[in-house]
Amino acid sequence: MGKLDRSHIIEAGVWFLFFIVFFIASFEFNQPIEIYKFGATGWPRTILLLLLLVMFGNMAYAYYQGHALQQGRVGIADDEAEKTSYDRATFLRVVTALGVPFLYAISLKPVGFYAATPFFIAAIAFIFGEHKLKNILLVTLFIYMIIMIIFMVILNAPLPQGNTSPFYDFSAFMLRMNTKWQQLELW
Amino acid sequence: MLENFIAGSAALFGDPFTVAIFVFGVIGGMLFGAIPGVSMLTLAAILLPFTSDLEPAQGVMLFAVIYCTGTYGGAITAILFNIPGAPENAPTAFDGYPMTKQGRAGKAVGAAVLCSAIGGISSALVMMAATEPLAKWAIRNIGPPEIFALVFFGLAVASSVGGRTIWKGWLSVLLGLMVATIGQDPVGGIERYNFGFADLAAGIAFVPAILGFFAVSEIFVQAEKKVTGKYDAPPVGMSFPTILELWRYKIAVVRSILVGFFCGILPGIGATLAAFMGYGEAVRWSKDKKSFGKGNMEGVISSETANNAATGAAMIPLLALGLPGGALTAMMVAVFQMHDLEPGPLVFYNSPDLIWIVFAAMFYANLSILIIGVMETKTIMYLLKVPFQFLAPMILLLASIGSYIGRGLVLDVVVMFVAGILGFLLRRSGYSIPGIVLGIILGKIGEQNFAQGMQMVHYDLVTYFSRPICTLLILAGVLTLGFSIYQAFQGIKQKSPAS
Repeated sequence: MGKLDRSHIIEAGVWFLFFIVFFIASFEFNQPIEIYKFGATGWPRTILLLLLLVMFGNMAYAYYQGHALQQGRVGIADDEAEKTSYDRATFLRVVTALGVPFLYAISLKPVGFYAATPFFIAAIAFIFGEHKLKNILLVTLFIYMIIMIIFMVILNAPLPQGNTSPFYDFSAFMLRMNTKWQQLELW
Repeated sequence: MLENFIAGSAALFGDPFTVAIFVFGVIGGMLFGAIPGVSMLTLAAILLPFTSDLEPAQGVMLFAVIYCTGTYGGAITAILFNIPGAPENAPTAFDGYPMTKQGRAGKAVGAAVLCSAIGGISSALVMMAATEPLAKWAIRNIGPPEIFALVFFGLAVASSVGGRTIWKGWLSVLLGLMVATIGQDPVGGIERYNFGFADLAAGIAFVPAILGFFAVSEIFVQAEKKVTGKYDAPPVGMSFPTILELWRYKIAVVRSILVGFFCGILPGIGATLAAFMGYGEAVRWSKDKKSFGKGNMEGVISSETANNAATGAAMIPLLALGLPGGALTAMMVAVFQMHDLEPGPLVFYNSPDLIWIVFAAMFYANLSILIIGVMETKTIMYLLKVPFQFLAPMILLLASIGSYIGRGLVLDVVVMFVAGILGFLLRRSGYSIPGIVLGIILGKIGEQNFAQGMQMVHYDLVTYFSRPICTLLILAGVLTLGFSIYQAFQGIKQKSPAS
């Protein structure tokens, strides 16, 4: 096995799975193009083939050199090369930190930006280390107001409004307030 | 030329409303470039509908000014937070962020201010003097095979920076190229890899991908450090570099101007590749290659000079051929079209006033980077003092808005966070995030030009390689690759986490 370890095998497995999935999916659009000899699949399949070759190169390098940094590489920050091992509790906290923004993104369609954002700000501030309720509330209010002033009042940027009640109604209320504010013509 | 420039300046400063738009563009571009999470593209996307109410010259000028100052502004976030404001600022982060961690943020930002201004001003001057002859040269000598060859060379350079090994560098680039194939094929318009999602038919927009891979993944990396108790707020260093310090890098500046300008004039290439190649050349010619990526000021200087040098040059294919070099110049085409104008050779004859107002505005915008940049930067650097738990939600929210606004799709926000999680995992495994992003940006351009090139030469490789510029660039790419592979099998670096 040389210097290969479990992480190298998993890494190669993920790339191989990627290759298989995309290669099989390429049959769905395997149609000829009259004006182009290589068709719609020529380019992606070539990239996939190169990816497979490079994956073997990566494995060969790992076999001989393990995790060692290749000589002469530039642009690698030290922290990117750090390996961190977690206990179970820390692992769960890291997963939560990664998962909450993703949940926020998914919630934007049904809940909308205006209603989901305050909860998101508070959740991120809490997960990232702020545990005083007063500070969380103040920061949530401050950031929410800043964002609303810049993007809703000044720039009139269209933001997701949600499509379920009562969130949609809340978005509509916010937009009505903004329209009334704009009609005051203070400037 | 001088007469036209004076006339353009007079038209620019003669009308108070045009001046107000210019000032708004300068400050807006810098601010949106320098606020982590949003970029000049966010501002441009928001402003695009409003430009229909402006005069054509004012609308195009506004976008040109945002392009100049936003390209510089993106360097600030790259240096201070390791979050490039735009892809062209990605190589700036390689050395800029390590400088911040060493308490030398002021030096890095100062170098970026000065070199962005020098690169931009030089480029604006050459653009004014040589747009027409350069456009004629480009029409005669640069075709799809040359552009594909340059894309190949650029990807070869990108694969050699950022990843822990050449293999990981190439896997990153190839992943980016695969992501770019999602959507429609550029020749026949056939839908590819939409996996049943109708929104994916339009492809993966690169703004969410960039924000995800750079901004969100960086927030996740810092979050992990917070959770594991390894987070250290970077020290705030306010001392700017002296002129003497910067004078040492004069050759790097000149080299980067040339690289930036050459990349900029090629249609579809733009400032991103310029920055990567400027950085790559700095490493190639340096006697102390190992210091790159660890806080070498030359890395910041080369990348920032090259990307700003490309901004002026990118106007040449836009104005002379009607071909945009990137997302922002593509929006400029939209501004032209909103006013029933078509960018191209006829613009020089039909609307010379417009051209010279834009040229003059770009010159003054680059000049203003020097003055406003220093003042604004000192204020923005205090962002480093904001506790991370308060800064993170702000950045994530701005990034979400920046992703959403481009196309009005929630899918883009989801893509951004998926890219963030993917970027976080890939960074831990030693892959190159800039490599992935460059792959995404250049993928479509590369495929389109490869297809057109092959059709041009009737699939005859001998004819393809009989074009000298094309052959030279492909050869340079192959040599870059070959050298990296050779190095891969040389002795290993002793100081590695596992050994």
